[in-house]
Order: sequence, then C-alpha cells, then structure tokens
Amino acid sequence: MPAYQPAYVTAIGGYLPLLRADRKQIARELAWSGLGMPRDGYRAVAAWDEDPVTMAVEAARCIVAADVPSALRFVSTSAYFTDRLQAGIVLDALALPRSLRTADAANSRRAATTTLLDALLAGSSEVIAAAEKRMTQAGSPAHLAYGDGAAAVRTGTVGGARLIGHGAISHDLVDRYASRDHPSPYAYEERFVRDTAVAEIMVPAVRMACAAAGIEPGKIARVAAAEPVSGCWKATAGKLGIAAANHCDTVSEKAGDLGSAHPLFGLGLALAEAAVGEIVLLVGFGNGADALLFEKCGEVAGTAGMASLLDEGVALANATRFLNLTGALDLDWGMRAEFEQKAQATVLERVGRDMIGFIGGRDSTGNVQFPKSAFPVNPALSGAEVLADVRLADLEASIVSITADRLNFSPDPPFDFGLVQFDNGARVLMEMVDRPQQGFCTGDRVRMRLRVKSLNPRLGFRTWFWKAAPLARPKLGDA
Amino acid sequence: MAGGIKDKVAIVGMGCTRFGERWDVGADGLMVEAFGEALADAGIESSRIEAAWVGNALDDINVGNSALPAAHALRLRGVPVTRVENMCATGTEALRGAAYAVASGAVDIALAIGVEKLKDTGYGGLPLRTKGLQNDLWMPYGSAPGTFAQLAGAYAARHGVDPADLKRAMAHVSWKSHQNGALSPKAHLRNRVDIDRIIAAPMIADPLGLFDCCGVSDGAACAIVTTPEIARAMGKADPVTIKAIQLSASSGWEMQFGEWDGASVPNTRTAATRAYAEAGIRDPRAELNLTEVHDCFSITELVIMEDLGLSDPGRAHADILDGRYDADGAIPCQIDGGLKCFGHPVGASGLRMAYEIYNQLQGRAGERQRAKADLGLTHNLGGSPFNSVAAVAILGRAN
Repeated sequence: MPAYQPAYVTAIGGYLPLLRADRKQIARELAWSGLGMPRDGYRAVAAWDEDPVTMAVEAARCIVAADVPSALRFVSTSAYFTDRLQAGIVLDALALPRSLRTADAANSRRAATTTLLDALLAGSSEVIAAAEKRMTQAGSPAHLAYGDGAAAVRTGTVGGARLIGHGAISHDLVDRYASRDHPSPYAYEERFVRDTAVAEIMVPAVRMACAAAGIEPGKIARVAAAEPVSGCWKATAGKLGIAAANHCDTVSEKAGDLGSAHPLFGLGLALAEAAVGEIVLLVGFGNGADALLFEKCGEVAGTAGMASLLDEGVALANATRFLNLTGALDLDWGMRAEFEQKAQATVLERVGRDMIGFIGGRDSTGNVQFPKSAFPVNPALSGAEVLADVRLADLEASIVSITADRLNFSPDPPFDFGLVQFDNGARVLMEMVDRPQQGFCTGDRVRMRLRVKSLNPRLGFRTWFWKAAPLARPKLGDA
Repeated sequence: MAGGIKDKVAIVGMGCTRFGERWDVGADGLMVEAFGEALADAGIESSRIEAAWVGNALDDINVGNSALPAAHALRLRGVPVTRVENMCATGTEALRGAAYAVASGAVDIALAIGVEKLKDTGYGGLPLRTKGLQNDLWMPYGSAPGTFAQLAGAYAARHGVDPADLKRAMAHVSWKSHQNGALSPKAHLRNRVDIDRIIAAPMIADPLGLFDCCGVSDGAACAIVTTPEIARAMGKADPVTIKAIQLSASSGWEMQFGEWDGASVPNTRTAATRAYAEAGIRDPRAELNLTEVHDCFSITELVIMEDLGLSDPGRAHADILDGRYDADGAIPCQIDGGLKCFGHPVGASGLRMAYEIYNQLQGRAGERQRAKADLGLTHNLGGSPFNSVAAVAILGRAN
C-alpha cells in the first residue's frame, strides 16, 4: 500500500449547454434509416458559439474564485487548436495570473482523470478543466449518445475528498478512435469492446486501486465510472462485488457522454450524494483506465449544485436545428455568410487579454467603461488618464435596448444583440445568448458567459468574447 | 458660435440619377449621369470645377477608394479631389466640404458628388464590413435594421407607448413615403403599399418588418456650388443658398456611458440645434416648409421628428398618425419618397435629399411640388443610434 501524501479534491464545477436534444425525437426522425441509436433521455447540445474553451471556462469559473491555484490544466479530445495552448486562453478568460503553470491534455477520453491523478500525486493546488464538443456523424450511435459539456476539478492539500488509492492500466484497446483523417468516432463492435474492456482494463484497474487503498471493492459506496460502451460498469461491478450505482449513468442519460469531462461530472454527483466516511470510486476510460479512490471527509465545494445542472435546459423542438448545431447539416447560408473576420496577432497581443478577460477600466470618478481608452468616455472628464482594471465577466447587468436580428448571418438565428448596462457604469454593446422562450426584453437582468465571437474556418482561427445571458435557466420541460 | 456659412454658398446646379437596381451601369456611369445633369443645370463646362469632394462609404463595393474613381470618371484634370466618408452621412459630408471651400474663398466653384453601387454585392441589405481589428474582437455584427430597431423598444419604454400603437405609427411612416415615392420618377420603389400589408410584412429585426426598412439601391447625386455673387453672374437671379450645414459625431457616450436611454439620437439634436442657430431659425415648426430626413427605417424617421424639434417629446407617433408629415400635412417629410423609396446608395443619399429640396425651392418638383417651399431641411444620419454621425443642412433662397 503506497503512502499517499494528503491530496484532496476540494471543489468541482460543471457546465452544460442550455439546449437538449430528445433522443427519442431525433431517433424517430431517422427511423426510416433502420439505424440503431440510443432512444432514452437527452443529449446536451452546444450552441454554435460554444466550444471546449468556453465550456471549460464556465465549469472552472466558480472554483477559481476563492484563491489562485498553482496550475491550470485544460483537457479535451475535441479542442479546436492543435498548436495553440488552450489552457492559456482559459487562463486569460478566467483572469488568472500568467505566472501559473499551464498545460493541455488530449488524445484520450481518460485524459482528465490522468491529469487529476497527476495533480493529486504531486500534492499541488491545481484546476483541471475538461470539456468536449465532439464531432459526430448523423446516424451513428455516438451522434445521440455523446453530449457537449464540461467539468472542472480543484485539487489541494485540504478538502472534502481525500485520495486513498489509485490504479492505472495502459492498454491500447481500439474500441473507437478519431483521427485527423476521420474526425468523427469510428467504433468497433460493442460486444468485443465490452468483454475486453471489462476483463483486461476496468477490473484490473479497480483492483489495483483497492489494493493501494487497502480496501475490499465491496466497501465502495459511490461510483463515477466512464465506460466505453454501456454495460461495462455493470459487468465490472458484478465481478468485483460492488453494489453501488454508477453516477456517470445519470450524466449519460440526461446530458450524454461528455468524453473526458464525463467521469469528472459523475464524480461531482457521487461526492454530492456520498456521506462523510464513504468511499467513492472514479474511473476514467480510454485506451486503458485510471481508477481513483476517495474517502469523503467533508463537503466538496460546488458539488451540491451539479445535479440541478442536469435538470435544466430547453428541449430542441426541431430535429434539423439539432443537425445544424452538431454540424451534421451543411446549409447554404448565402452570400452574407461569406463575410470573414481575420484576427491579427498584433492586436491580440495588445488588447486580447482585456477582451477575453472582459476587463474594462475605472476612471478617477469611479465610472467604469469598456473598452479602456486614454481619454475616458465620462463627459465629466476632459483629460487623459490611466484607467484601473475592472473585470466585468462576473457581474450582472441590465438590457438597455435589444433586437432579434434576422438579416445578418448567424449560424443559429435570430441574432440577439443590444446595449447592456452594468451597475458600475459600464455600458457595452453585446450579443445575447441562451434566448428565453419569450425573447429578450429591455430591463432584463443578464449575466456574462464566454462564447466564441468569430469563426474563420478558412484560416482555421477563432476568437472569444463574453455575451449576455439570462440569469437563470428553466427546468427541462418548463420552457 | 462662429458666424457660419449662411448665404455664403449658392447651389447653381444639381444632378441625380434614377436610383434603383442599376444593372446597366457602374459607379463611374452613375457619377457621369448625375454630373452631366448638374453641369447642364448650372450651365457651365466641367473645366469650371476648381475643387471636388466625392462621397462614397463602401469603397470595397465596386467604386474603389480615394478620390481617383471620381477624378477618372469625370475627367477632373488637375482638380484637387477629396474622398470623404462618414458612413451614411457621407453625402452631406461631401456637400459640406465643397461648401466650406467656397465659403472660405479658397475656390469659386466646387463640386460635391456622392455615389454608391450597392447592388453589385449580390445580396440585399448593406454589406458586412470589418469594424476595425480591435472592435472586431468584441463588437457584435448586427445589421443596420438591427441597430435601429432598438430605438423602438427604448422609445416605447421612455414614453409609455403601446408597442402596437408604435408599430401602427411606423407603418404610417412607410405608407406615406410609398404614396410620395409613386410620384418620383427617379425613385427605386414607386408602388403604393397599404397599411395592413406593411404591418403584416416579414420581420427583419424586431419590431422592424420588411416595409419598415428602406431599399438598397445604386445611385449618384451631385451639387455644384459657388458664391451667390457668381451665381447671379451666371444668371441665377435668386439662387438657392445654403443656410446651414452642421454635423455632430458620437464621442462614444451613447454606447459606453450609462446615461442615454436609447430612445433618441443625440447627435441629431446637437446638429439640428446648431443648424437652426446658423440659419437663424427660431421656430423650426413654423419656419420649415418641408424636410428630407434619414428614414433608413420607419422608427428612425419617427424619432427624428422629435430630435429635430418638430414634434413634442413622446408625440411623434401621434403627429405621424395625424398626418402632420404627409404630403398634404403641415411639414411634409420625404415628399419624394425618401430613403424608403429611393433606396439608400449610402454616399449619394445626403445629396439626393438636397436635390429634392433644391427642386422644391425652385418650383421644379413636378407632381410633388409644394405650394410653399421657401425653407427646407435635410437630415443625414450615419452609423447607428448609439454610435452616429448626424448631418443637418438647411437650404433656402438668397433673396
């Protein structure tokens, strides 16, 4: 049994997009094809302007507020850039110091659990933010089984869940893969995958973790286990004599398989429900497995609200809108869609941090403005002055004016935008997102959410900015 | 305030193309068409032009940047030609440049010409353009109707107007302009449209429907200006003179500072106040006989009526429904059909407005002629309600 230095999960955050696809509805639309696909529950669907960076920020923002971690790890198998550190983008969006250690992890669905394990074994205070918006092909089971979303975990030397054991198996089981030439998943027969994954990977990994912790598998009270295909955990638990239900099943049913974020989201649910003293198992799967055992020793910040995230949302009424949002439908949007924005590195270097951090400036009278300028916009001031940084991303505001624009191109019209007034004086022309059923109205209170600002597919580049969203989301079925 | 240019500049010739989908001609041809009419009107040769200002807002749409496209098209040999651009206020900006050159004594005869060739974009509506590399990182890419549509909700909120009543007044604005445009041979849209069709039209940007939006057209318009003394020497006994030209540009206050409620266009008020002072107008409602304003959208015209001081605050919608701005009303607005029916070839619109006032003042407006037309106002608005350039010009007779 290894001697673990004190290492804890101190907080967990989650994020799911507003939109949900009813699997039964989509499957019904495709029933003519005879293709088999999941029919139960919902799949979380990212808006056109949500991507792994935006969702990672949303998941992590509530767990970095208290104090600054020593490292930030961004995890995704669907990250947009292949040669640009996305952890650095998330860092700036969260307005964290650039002195933090940062890294991206990718290429495996268990990259998040591997990264988490490394952080715990190092005994450092880190944030691991995992997010996925994976490309899938219409008609494939993954198109409905996968979901878009994110989860972030904070580690530290004190907290509510202590690492008591771990095991890791590296095994190049090609249950499915995605590659540059085949970006959507290519999956092999489920029976082969289930038999092999259980026998060769999952059971040995959990046994290894239990041995390290010095416990019998039957002592495990809560489980968050990502599995390559359904039924793997059930078979694993049967072989090991574990009776606990798998909280990742709940995530799969209500939001879909969140890829690398999936086990972390499930861990949040498991820790929320676990009693102090109970043992919680976390399993990440992907060409091997990580198994981590925690003993709950107190409340884990952020976990109490994660179950409600699964119950929020708005069901997509239109199957073709789902196809459009998931890239399965390539509409001809006309010439207006040809407009191309090119971001310049020089401009990003000068002002990019203020943009993605949504940092305005406070003048000598206390008024805040965005963006900053040498001469304040405040008419009471006539001279140039240096404005003090003020972050607007975490503040509420009110809508001053609004419209739903149907003329300009939007990948998911209408394009809601208008003037937004912050209580500190800042006024910003902003896009609105997460449109409520009745639309936006003057006077509505809004909160800020990071979203993709511009996409440039030809140059393979994108930028991000903050957009205004309703303060609260409806429960699924209410809207 | 400085003394201004009241009656220091006369307009001796104007030209305006037929506005519309001018598949038949390019930007150069449009300029030639308008310039030819203006030269004939003034009774001079092009060699008399000593300086020129060309207004063109969207240089990437088949016109080309700088002054050279105009200098080439009109063969202005050796003439100092300046291109100006101030978004949709570009036409009046060109007139301002030419007028100031004459008023300053720098030249005797100057040309202002505005042109736009929008129908070469291949689609309806104004083209999307970059807002600048830094602004592109945060500023939403809303359409022109999207930005002006926001006036409606803010206006209704400020004045407690029922949105349905406001929509009806907006529809009347468009109905009136279509009635007038039917009598304008050079207008793009010359059809009358009934109110119910206007209200039921497809939504473009809430609450602006299709008929709440002006057309998008090709066109050019120009003015030849000189001193009143030279104008008289040219045989213009009582020339049309410029009583005032004023322009006001946003400092960012509306969009970045938390005072403005979004229900008016402050720059219009500023420019109008200065223009009235420059022209010596104390009571615009009593003294102005007609207006040509920037009715890019119906709600814009409605709000402009208050911003120009022609309607009391919160009363423009009622005045509109009462017919105050109809062709037979107290102060007709867009008696030629306005942007609504001419469309809005951006660089040309301000000069097209002046062209109508110029003709009305000389009794040359045909079926549209007002019995009394001594003083007219043009209002040209660039940008959006929250980030605008407003230009107001007042034209009258010298004597």
